[in-house]
Amino acid sequence: MIRRRFPWLSYLVVVTGAVLTVVPFLDMVMTSFKGPGESGTLPYRFLPEAFDLSNYRAAVDQLDLPVLFRNSVIATTVINASVLLTSSLAGYALAKLRFPGRDFIFRLVLSTMMFPPFLFFIPHFLILVHWPLAGGNDLLGRGGAGLTVSIVALAMPFLVNGFGIFLMRQFMVSIPDEVLEAARIDGAGEFAVWWRIVVPQTKPVMVTLGLLTFVDAWNEYIWALLVSTANPGVMTLPVGIQMLQDHVDPTRTMPIVMAGLVLSILPVLVLFLLLQRHYVRGIMLSGLK
Amino acid sequence: MVNALTPETTTRPPRPRSSAPAGATADRLGRARRHQAVVAYLFLAPTLLFFAVFLILPLGFALLLSMSRWAGFDLGDIRPVGLDNFTSLFADGSTFLTPILTNTLLFALGTVALALAGAVLVATCIDNLRFQGLWRTLYLLPIVTTVVAVGNVWKYMYEPGGLVNGALNAVGLDSVAFLQDPDTALPAVVVVQAWASVGTAILILTAGLKSIPESYYEAAALDGAGPVTVFWRITLPLLRPSLLFVCVTQFITGLQSFALIIVMTKGGPGDATNVAALEMYRQAFSYGDWGTASAAAFVLFVVILLVTLVQLWIFRRKGEDA
Repeated sequence: MIRRRFPWLSYLVVVTGAVLTVVPFLDMVMTSFKGPGESGTLPYRFLPEAFDLSNYRAAVDQLDLPVLFRNSVIATTVINASVLLTSSLAGYALAKLRFPGRDFIFRLVLSTMMFPPFLFFIPHFLILVHWPLAGGNDLLGRGGAGLTVSIVALAMPFLVNGFGIFLMRQFMVSIPDEVLEAARIDGAGEFAVWWRIVVPQTKPVMVTLGLLTFVDAWNEYIWALLVSTANPGVMTLPVGIQMLQDHVDPTRTMPIVMAGLVLSILPVLVLFLLLQRHYVRGIMLSGLK
Repeated sequence: MVNALTPETTTRPPRPRSSAPAGATADRLGRARRHQAVVAYLFLAPTLLFFAVFLILPLGFALLLSMSRWAGFDLGDIRPVGLDNFTSLFADGSTFLTPILTNTLLFALGTVALALAGAVLVATCIDNLRFQGLWRTLYLLPIVTTVVAVGNVWKYMYEPGGLVNGALNAVGLDSVAFLQDPDTALPAVVVVQAWASVGTAILILTAGLKSIPESYYEAAALDGAGPVTVFWRITLPLLRPSLLFVCVTQFITGLQSFALIIVMTKGGPGDATNVAALEMYRQAFSYGDWGTASAAAFVLFVVILLVTLVQLWIFRRKGEDA
């Protein structure tokens, strides 16, 4: 009804909001093209004088961007592969198999979503430090730095995701039992039933879960910061860029930081724009972000 | 979400598949069932192992730490001190209650209020437009962006030579030292958090709007109701479940967030933007005081748990499913 009387008012509100949303991104891009002495000076200017590409060059060199990229890619890939696999396996068991303790385990899975992540930073860190037989530790986890020296540490606490299991289970429940039963009668084992029938049927949810996991893992900051404080060799993109920001003169390096940020958010933005329908569905389903 | 707490049981009626004697059939069924249980636990093994090491063990560990004094890495040095860590958090002269816990609540309340107001406005307006998907995608951009990018861009925009002050100067106002002034630092960070989370709220409210039957609006139009009346009498009341859901979930998110604050202000100036999760983080990883940090984490956890319980209670009482 507002549409019938004041279409322009709706447009005004939505366009204003959209401008407010996008302008910081544009400012980031514009600053990344600004030459020396052009950023942080008064009066403020939105557009760069000349589109200076040297900041991107500097970001790649000074930040050691290739290494940061590699670490981010490894951590994100490992997390995604593990979350998809474990969610699908556990989801299948919880949706389609009958066994004692099923309801209890399902409740456990749900309860994991209730615990705030900050509760685990300290114990997770200490568990990795005291991981037995790793990084110079003995069997009781004493003596060395444990898994904190390994790139594995970046991914460890995120390998299984309660929400992922919940999501997969909800979708698998709706697969008709008759289909699975038919395969079993044909002599397929449970693993074959899962791999040949259930996995192909749940591909759309896998894409949704994969995208949600990718965005979270790629953007993760606090845990990566902790791990790379212990071992700078495993620094990820967000951590590395923030380090540069913290340690060098901000007025001089701001365009370089911005160039690094543009490059670091590019993969997520591209993937999000290609698959945004799946991301939207994921948020609607979780409503938890 | 509430529904999800009651798992539906997928009962499959046992069906005898052969003409073998009843006893043999029962035996085979029993074996099949045992086999299925073994397979199920194999499928669940990685998950259960993970939960044991990264969920249950850490919870116990954190609880133990919160009641110990320990500054180091040698497990043998842990000294039990009972509830000392908790009492010292709330002792006179401790900054934990004020300003830190107060900041936490203000931060969460502020972001919820701003994000909700913005989301209601935008969501109701988007509902009237074309290219709704395009608009919603735009508003989601901040959510998929790393907190380091969001924090740094806004920090830079708040600088004297940045975009926000540039805009103020352009309309003849003086520059404001947003993040350096203790009075403006917290509101400045709240604005950024709200900016970053408004997209999710819009999405959920849009889903709520779509579920309001068009016929209500048609009836109101026939009765000659104006747009303002329609908004207050139809849209808002019927949107209440979604509003409540957004409100409570974003409040909980707000209570726990601190990454944005680390990036933008590190809790400063002074303790002006310090929040409970950040204080926990600093106690642990800047001062190596695992005990105090764990105690602070549990206090915040209890606050969040209470909010969650209130949320569950509200939704159950209303019989509404989020």
